[in-house]
Amino acid sequence: MSKIRVEHLKYRYPSSEKLALDDLSFEVDEGEMIGIIGRNGAGKSTLCQAFVGLVPHFYRGAYGGKVVVSGLEVLKSSVSQLARRVGIVFQNPFTQVTGSKWTVYEEVAFGLENLGVPRKEMIDRIDYALQLLGMEKYRDRHPFDLSGGQMQRMAIASVIALQPEILVLDEPTSQLDPQGSEEVFRAVHRLREEGMTVILAEHNMEKIARYCNRVMLLDGGKIIDFASPASVFSRADLTRYGVVPPVYTRVCRELNAKREGSPHFPVTLEEACEVLKGR
Amino acid sequence: MKTFSLYVPRDSLIHRINPIDKILYTITAIAVPLILPSMAASFLCMLISLSLLAAARVVRQSLPVFAFVFLILCTVVLIQGWFYPGNQTPLFGVEPFVFHAEGLMKACRIGIRVTNVVAAFLLLVLTTKPADLVEELVRRGLSPRIGYVLDSIFQILPQMMNTTRTILDAQRSRGLETEGSLWVRVKAFLPLIVPVVMSSLIHAKERALALEVRGLHFEGQRTWLREKRTYPYSREIRGGLLLVLTASIVWRILG
Amino acid sequence: MSRVVVKDVCFSYRSGEEVLKGITLDFDEKSTAIIGQNGAGKTTFVKLLKGLLKPTRGEIYILGRSANEMTAAALAPFIGLVFQNPNDQIFRSTVLEEVMFGPLNIGEDPKGARKKAEEALEMVGLTEKASENPHDLRLSEKKLVCVASIVAMEPEILILDEPTIAQDHAGMAAIRQVIRRFKEQGKLVMGILHDMDFAAENFERVVVFHQGTVVADDDPREVFSRESLLQRAGLEVPHITRLGWSLGRKETFLTEAELIQSLRGEGSTDR
Ligand SMILES: Nc1ncnc2c1ncn2[C@@H]1O[C@H](COP(=O)(O)OP(=O)(O)OP(=O)(O)O)[C@@H](O)[C@H]1O
Ligand SMILES: Nc1ncnc2c1ncn2[C@@H]1O[C@H](COP(=O)(O)OP(=O)(O)OP(=O)(O)O)[C@@H](O)[C@H]1O
Ligand SMILES: [Mg+2]
Ligand SMILES: [Mg+2]
Repeated sequence: MSKIRVEHLKYRYPSSEKLALDDLSFEVDEGEMIGIIGRNGAGKSTLCQAFVGLVPHFYRGAYGGKVVVSGLEVLKSSVSQLARRVGIVFQNPFTQVTGSKWTVYEEVAFGLENLGVPRKEMIDRIDYALQLLGMEKYRDRHPFDLSGGQMQRMAIASVIALQPEILVLDEPTSQLDPQGSEEVFRAVHRLREEGMTVILAEHNMEKIARYCNRVMLLDGGKIIDFASPASVFSRADLTRYGVVPPVYTRVCRELNAKREGSPHFPVTLEEACEVLKGR
Repeated sequence: MKTFSLYVPRDSLIHRINPIDKILYTITAIAVPLILPSMAASFLCMLISLSLLAAARVVRQSLPVFAFVFLILCTVVLIQGWFYPGNQTPLFGVEPFVFHAEGLMKACRIGIRVTNVVAAFLLLVLTTKPADLVEELVRRGLSPRIGYVLDSIFQILPQMMNTTRTILDAQRSRGLETEGSLWVRVKAFLPLIVPVVMSSLIHAKERALALEVRGLHFEGQRTWLREKRTYPYSREIRGGLLLVLTASIVWRILG
Repeated sequence: MSRVVVKDVCFSYRSGEEVLKGITLDFDEKSTAIIGQNGAGKTTFVKLLKGLLKPTRGEIYILGRSANEMTAAALAPFIGLVFQNPNDQIFRSTVLEEVMFGPLNIGEDPKGARKKAEEALEMVGLTEKASENPHDLRLSEKKLVCVASIVAMEPEILILDEPTIAQDHAGMAAIRQVIRRFKEQGKLVMGILHDMDFAAENFERVVVFHQGTVVADDDPREVFSRESLLQRAGLEVPHITRLGWSLGRKETFLTEAELIQSLRGEGSTDR
């Protein structure tokens, strides 16, 4: 059974005249990792927030169609009910601090306390999440006395500690250093292997190509394509949608080096090496 | 980040008392002199609060507050001493500024009352971490949402100050002179009041999103990161306070 | 000629925890990328240059003036900083006013300020949003508004703190354009970046921060050749460099064009 089912989803923000999401239909299976790409304003963040119920419950506005996550219909469930199954990391790390806690450790505990996770388990989960993001050192720091990247790490840790069935990441590593970002992706990959379903909006195409099994290309709130990274990134008309494929694909396209027996260009380092070897 | 609370971390018995018991004490210490208007009762309550402050080893931290209160009380002494309507017995001074016994007594009574109230409040505020108090209240059935609001209130001021500083920094970076004479500072600061409030509101809206998805409005049973603390002598304190209150009411009725 | 001189600068937010530990650097007009791990002290460093923080030790000279003795406002005409978090800056009620604020402060008359603001907005592609409330914009657009608001002041030195955050391809192009424009005018551009590809492509010099010290300072090809050093500093080589090496090339490639040329060249001799 699919983990996420979206049927004819349409959505318009109250202050706007045009649809931010325009008739989307698709399904996502358990354990998939879906990359959402598209130019600024394509609707990536809006779609992300439709999975956790902020669209439409928080923003209001005009809503049509149906989104079912983990068996719960979003329109008929509250954001808090959904919070137990779906976790989200927002785009801007500076605005997702609760402002009521005095240390990083307590900050990560916030969601766990609200959702009633038993104390012992809570501590295990916080320790795990902080360690996963390399934030143990700062556990007693005040949440606002962190650098940008450290705040983003804290935000990710806070959601990973909730152990949601579905993890929604909206440009989660934009302020992380390269290794930190790679570590987060590896950690997410591990969680995925344990069965978590991951939705990722991202501008870093190399990461999308490496870690996602399917890619959704959005433009003007519509799905332009929803297929394997190789297939989406091999589209000749990609730049028309404000997206540039991974550097590996760009180089191979320039040299017209396709994978053997495939209509597509390579999208990862390994694939590119394979076809370019010996040149 | 600077903290807004006046809490002074110390290792004393008073610090270890349940915050709610401390609230009850504060209420009692204020109520008793109201029930029993005699000077002795107020004086006794004041003495007890002061000695508890000493026991909590926060006398030094309470001095600035007392100094401020004392300053105000000085004016009370002057005004009451000179102009109290019941003044009859002149003591010293020159017309029309003659101190009278009745007025000074009245000032003295006010002084003791005020000191008592201030001392009782300080005992609560100086020895209780706000977060502990809120947690204890939520454990006793206060809505977690209100708990969140209370918790954030203690951070709102320093945060506003932070926001003001960052926004001020950004405008300094763009050539707005904020250093120098008072006038320069005021001129720089005034136009920033609205943006700081605006920016706080916008932050609050974006933050609300983050709170929602982390289950702030979740209806089920919640848990706590910190173990439920057992506070010493809770029963004794409550019993004692209740006894004192009842006794003073009985006294009042009979006496 | 040195534009910025930094002599043995130390800084700490709280005593006992030094965030910058004796930084000595000298900047001429070469555009410079500052890279390093989260918490390495990059933002702190540029705030010091900007006069927003004062060093606990050491000295900073901006175009020959001692930054220690000048207010941030007095430095504003010479050095502009785009903050990491756009919400820190934005405070006017329309985009145009926001961008005009800086030029007006440094003595531009309203007409001139408006002209410069419009040009700057044009450069980042936000002309159409000029009359909107900047608070209503998306993160990516807010960031570009902040870039424009500094560009409009035409400072001699431009510092961008993580400008590429949240930008799509068009946004990146706009920022590239801004950097190019400043370079053409012989002005110094510094950028704090986590995007190594962008750093390699657009800057002539790379400074690597690590735990409050500078561990490398050279032209990009040199710095991005030193893999183990980058590794230690929490960084990685650019994707294109990695691809080149994986294909057995010895050189350090910094752009697609370089690698493609190399692959084409050898490919044709093979045949
Ligand atoms: N709170 C809001 N109110 C009104 N309109 C909004 C709001 N948030 C987004 N929009 C609009 O909805 C559309 C989709 O925006 P969205 O933020 O989902 O794009 P995005 O793909 O996430 O862009 P980015 O890459 O910049 O993050 C845009 O046209 C945007 O202007
Ligand atoms: N206001 C503050 N109070 C106390 N410590 C701070 C403050 N701001 C930053 N720090 C600490 O100083 C160190 C350097 O921070 P800085 O912001 O300069 O890092 P950075 O290199 O810009 O990192 P990032 O890439 O994450 O933005 C960090 O360890 C951070 O936790
Ligand atoms: Mg978005
Ligand atoms: Mg920084």
